[in-house]
Amino acid sequence: MRMNIELATKIIDASIEHAKTIGICCSVAVVDEYGWLIALHRMDGALSPTADIARDKAWTAAVFKKPSADVAMFGVPSQPGAGFNTSNWNDRLTVIPGGLPIHLNGEFLGGVGISGGTPEQDTSVCKAAISRLTDGQV
Amino acid sequence: MTEITLEMARKALRASRRWAKDIAGVPCSIAVVDKSGIVVAAERMDGAGAATIDIAIEKAWSVISFQMPTLLLARMIDPRFIGQQLGDHGMGLVTKGKGRLTFIAGGVPILSEDAEIIGAVGCSGVPSGVGDISDTSVAQAGVSALFD
Repeated sequence: MRMNIELATKIIDASIEHAKTIGICCSVAVVDEYGWLIALHRMDGALSPTADIARDKAWTAAVFKKPSADVAMFGVPSQPGAGFNTSNWNDRLTVIPGGLPIHLNGEFLGGVGISGGTPEQDTSVCKAAISRLTDGQV
Repeated sequence: MTEITLEMARKALRASRRWAKDIAGVPCSIAVVDKSGIVVAAERMDGAGAATIDIAIEKAWSVISFQMPTLLLARMIDPRFIGQQLGDHGMGLVTKGKGRLTFIAGGVPILSEDAEIIGAVGCSGVPSGVGDISDTSVAQAGVSALFD
């Protein structure tokens, strides 16, 4: 199974619903397993840079197959990957929390990125959307 | 109608997608931007080329930056028109806008009742030149849906 527009729309709807319940205006981006954008929606009232930041988070989560915040671990000086931040990652690499990889039935499908609230709020929206998807609620 | 909301953008996307699927028969990407040129909603249909969503966003952005459909922007750099309609310097535009300016038809402005540009729809992925089947007609279907 691959990420498709139907699944992406479900994730976005679930994200926006949860964002409304915690009271933030945000942008939601969903990318496929290679980091290519499938859908990007910006809620009314979300600031304009959030659209690109959400996409960057989704890209980072998808290509590293881990939460965007965890990618920071490669950059710490004691790790062999120190300096990886100087590579040109398509100008999309970000270690801001708020991007999560999407797994469904054990399969890796892509990534979702949220931007608009605090890093904790963004991550909680990601988690809520993914768990609603895996529970079959959307 | 003075501002593009997410709800309006989704309505336009739905209409464009239906047109692309049922009439053009080609998967493509569609983007809606507000009057500042920032994406409100963008989607890539299953089977559309991976880069088309970026091109759709950039077409919509180009509409806002020059306040005209990208079909007219394409005319600006058409060598056949240089020195006739728009001055001699149209060709220099291709290097401007940090590479974002797009001179391909498929970006259509959304006008308010006061004929003010409040946003734009961009489409990419449809091969052009076959009658009504083009990026422009898919984008226009989305714009028209906002006035139903």
